[in-house]
Amino acid sequence: MANVAKKVSWSGRDRDDDEDGRAGETTPLLNGTGPGAARQLTPSSFLRIGQLSNVDLNEDIHELETELPRQRPNEIPHNEKLLSLKYESLDYDNSENQLFLEEERRINHAAFRTVEIKRWVICAMIGILTGLVACFIDIVVENLAGLKYRVVKDNIDKFTAKGGLSFSLLLWATLNASVVMVGSVIVAFIEPVAAGSGIPQIKCYLNGVKIPHVVRLKTLVIKVCGVILSVVGGLAVGKEGPMIHSGAVIAAGISQGRSTSLKRDFKIFEYFRRDTEKRDFVSAGAAAGVSAAFGAPVGGVLFSLEEGASFWNQFLTWRIFFASMISTFTLNSVLSVYHGNAWDLSSPGLINFGRFDSEKMGYTIQEIPIFIFMGVVGGILGALFNALNYWLTMFRIRYIHRPCLQVVEAMLVAAVTATVGFVMIYCSRDCQPIQGSSVAYPLQLFCADGEYNSMATAFFNTPEKSVVNLFHDPPGSYNPMTLGMFTLMYFFLACWTYGLTVSAGVFIPSLLIGAAWGRLFGISLSYLTKGSIWADPGKYALMGAAAQLGGIVRMTLSLTVIMMEATGNVTYGFPIMLVLMTAKIVGDYFVEGLYDMHIQLQSVPFLHWEAPVTSHSLTAREVMSTPVTCLRRIERVGTVVDILSDTSSNHNGFPVVESNPDTTQVAGLRGLILRSQLIVLLKHKVFVERANLSLVQRRLKLKDFRDAYPRFPPIQSIHVSQDERECMIDLSEFMNPSPYTVPQEASLPRVFKLFRALGLRHLVVVDNRNEVVGMVTRKDLARYRLGKEGLEELSLAQT
Amino acid sequence: MAPRRCGPCMLPVLALALLGPATLAQELPPRWAPALQAAEGLAEELWGAGLPGDLPELEPECRSLLAAFAEGSAALTGCLGRRARPVRVCQGCHGHYRRLLALYGTIARAVGNSSESHNCAKSILTSDRLQIVVTLSEFFNETWEAANCANCLKNNSEGLSNSTEEFLDLFNKSLTCFEHNLQGQTVYLSPNNYTEVCKNCNETYTKLNDLYNNLQRMNRQGGESGHSAHLCIDVEDAMNITRKLWSRTFNCSVPCSDTVPVIAVSSFILFLPIVFYLSSFLHSKQKKRILILPKRIQSNASLVNIQEKYS
Repeated sequence: MANVAKKVSWSGRDRDDDEDGRAGETTPLLNGTGPGAARQLTPSSFLRIGQLSNVDLNEDIHELETELPRQRPNEIPHNEKLLSLKYESLDYDNSENQLFLEEERRINHAAFRTVEIKRWVICAMIGILTGLVACFIDIVVENLAGLKYRVVKDNIDKFTAKGGLSFSLLLWATLNASVVMVGSVIVAFIEPVAAGSGIPQIKCYLNGVKIPHVVRLKTLVIKVCGVILSVVGGLAVGKEGPMIHSGAVIAAGISQGRSTSLKRDFKIFEYFRRDTEKRDFVSAGAAAGVSAAFGAPVGGVLFSLEEGASFWNQFLTWRIFFASMISTFTLNSVLSVYHGNAWDLSSPGLINFGRFDSEKMGYTIQEIPIFIFMGVVGGILGALFNALNYWLTMFRIRYIHRPCLQVVEAMLVAAVTATVGFVMIYCSRDCQPIQGSSVAYPLQLFCADGEYNSMATAFFNTPEKSVVNLFHDPPGSYNPMTLGMFTLMYFFLACWTYGLTVSAGVFIPSLLIGAAWGRLFGISLSYLTKGSIWADPGKYALMGAAAQLGGIVRMTLSLTVIMMEATGNVTYGFPIMLVLMTAKIVGDYFVEGLYDMHIQLQSVPFLHWEAPVTSHSLTAREVMSTPVTCLRRIERVGTVVDILSDTSSNHNGFPVVESNPDTTQVAGLRGLILRSQLIVLLKHKVFVERANLSLVQRRLKLKDFRDAYPRFPPIQSIHVSQDERECMIDLSEFMNPSPYTVPQEASLPRVFKLFRALGLRHLVVVDNRNEVVGMVTRKDLARYRLGKEGLEELSLAQT
Repeated sequence: MAPRRCGPCMLPVLALALLGPATLAQELPPRWAPALQAAEGLAEELWGAGLPGDLPELEPECRSLLAAFAEGSAALTGCLGRRARPVRVCQGCHGHYRRLLALYGTIARAVGNSSESHNCAKSILTSDRLQIVVTLSEFFNETWEAANCANCLKNNSEGLSNSTEEFLDLFNKSLTCFEHNLQGQTVYLSPNNYTEVCKNCNETYTKLNDLYNNLQRMNRQGGESGHSAHLCIDVEDAMNITRKLWSRTFNCSVPCSDTVPVIAVSSFILFLPIVFYLSSFLHSKQKKRILILPKRIQSNASLVNIQEKYS
């Protein structure tokens, strides 16, 4: 509180409350501090609250904005306690206006059945395309990375004999840096939203936040190329996370039957051009992505369930399952054909953990406490990872925000990754016989002929292969020193890499770190127990991988199932579940999960499952935004245009009130109309006068609104002449006549529940005379958050 | 195939087969005679034990086949065991293996002439739970597969392939070279004194190494993904021995380690990020966020709840 007072001069504290009468009740002080300072609100603006439904509300808002004293700091450095204005909600609530009812009347039963069939067809297509994209990524990465490693290996072999290994190091670093540079340039300059794994973005989308550009075709292209380049560039990243984003984009694209980027409209699936339908398909796409990445169809469904579960029904679940099954099957069959053994379906996912069904890989009851201990370690390491990444990301947002700098940073990371790998390999004296091992690129370096450097199997390989090697190489393939150094180095590299402006996932690096220390753990156990049979290091590598991944991303149910499906061993379900649970509990004690953290750092108005627990004393009256810009049912076109063009208040939903020429009279709420609808109306010039002039005019249909979806033109692009400004526009046909409303006294958790469960975008707050008092939107709810010292409020900011 | 018990219904049929063991023994090559005699011995034993005469037994053809299989597998086992170290399995035993494979094929296909419903495959391979013949043949096949012998044999698996011959030639040459140059020296000499060997045999060794690498590359390219990428065990082992001698015993391959340039280059690269982050911290303008004032009724309640607004 103290520093608040320093920055702000509080002139008008508590005064408003007396005038208000209702909100001034003595509320229990949750944090034991004295009466808090009310924010500045000039009396003039306050008095206007009673005149909410005035016709000239628009002007009022203008005044309000200008009147507000500029006493507070307007510019602050980026921090986690902000909500960005650039994120809007998605319109999940169906607008049941006249047009909608007409369409429903027109479409008969048979047509609805076709719609249902179309849904299944779309899901199948989502599965197939996601699988194909996964195949494409896999095959290209395999070939390009193979090429790179062969070139570097030949070079190293050559210079080992002759001397001059520093050139090999330079070659490796330069190759990495240049490949990553391309990958980073396309992301930074063409589509920044394709950066990272995409899982936070998809999580937000399923939560109901519209992240600009997140499901565009361009994003998909950049994402796929970016992933390929960053994996080939040798960064500590995986290609699995981005598959989820790719699947989601594919789903969003197919379900619309057109591509706005390519300006192609296939005239199919027009029924699905709404946020509600699109969201369902996006969750199917995300599931298909998970399923293609890990060969885990059930895990994919559960992932969608875990991330987007507030809107769910069982038919949707079944369809999503269908999509994920198709996806993994497509990937499997195409990769089998590619690998030459068609029809044997041996590669269900991008990463295969291999088979864990030998005798040694079983576990006994005595080992369960050991697994739980590993979960604790994973939780602590994961928390450390997240905390380090938090500081780094904050620094990046504040200082490295220019695209050129971002590209340079990515290149540096790539070069350093190569250097660290090289130095580790150079210093390692851990040699293993080459016979009988399945090392793809054995580097001899200083080992005797016929042996290879064991450190090189970990560093000189794509991360997926290294993970599988750690799981399955026979005991004794790595010495503890190698594993320890590798874990340490890779931990920092992966932490440094996540959040770069390249598209890349964090799943594989986490698995790799975990597998390395897990294997180390297994080896030391085996030392301690004098080589007991059950201490197979591969099993501990798996548990370590699960613990580390759980500690970083903190997913629960879906991750357990994904790991279980990826290992193909159901009996591992129990230990994996325990490990993930422990890791989550321990990790949550310190910091939150990586994805949630990044969502917060991006200032996204994300709604969690529940409202903060201590928020029952807050009522809708305090939460809502007010005054509200209302429209009359029959409104002057000029007014509408002015409201829409007002840049300072970029509202998207407008309550429609009873149109009464007598402005002093109170007017009740009649409906709600969206900005997008108004724009379509203005574009088609649906004015009362034109209808009266008996101009032959097509009646507007729902199709016109769908055609404009999802990129409605900005208001600036719509020309309205001076004469037309004087026309009137009748909204009663187009508005949603029954918007959800809450009374002023509703508590925050109540409002929250309604909002979250129904996926609302606007919630009108009315008084007992059904007059509009305020409006609750996502940002009003998302700003309350349970911090370390009780309830906190986030501020809105332009980003 | 599930093992089948010999039911009573088959007994009369089998009894017929017991009639002429002696005549058959003369037709067979003499080296299979002992096995046959043992079989006869068993039959006699059974007779002597007073068992009923219609005891199920093998047809003579089948019995001879079985005896031949026993012989062949004994020979192959002996061959494999004798050539286990250093591994010469593929070179030495491929004849045995091929013969045994053919024999097994015959057994599996052979049809006894006594009855159409009955054949040797059934009576030898699947009549009991143990199925020794099947197990043995599986064992040999697996061993052969694991050794990857097909890789260094000709396509019809008669004799070694040309590349293998070439490799073995070169291998022998290098061994001879080693021996020549080591003459007069005792094994107990310190490693430094092997320089002679290193100098004189370097050429052969390099050739051998290159050839091996070539073979490996060709193998990896030619083989489909179903095929394992290993060369046959003889070649691998030979190369392994040579390499061990060369780099461990003789200590001939001393890689140039240029630590100083590597350290210089790597520390330069590792230094770059520090420069980058420092410079962007000092010179880049910190991104500021413009706060937007929310339009809200402010009450006491909301504000006491909210703490740390501008921390």
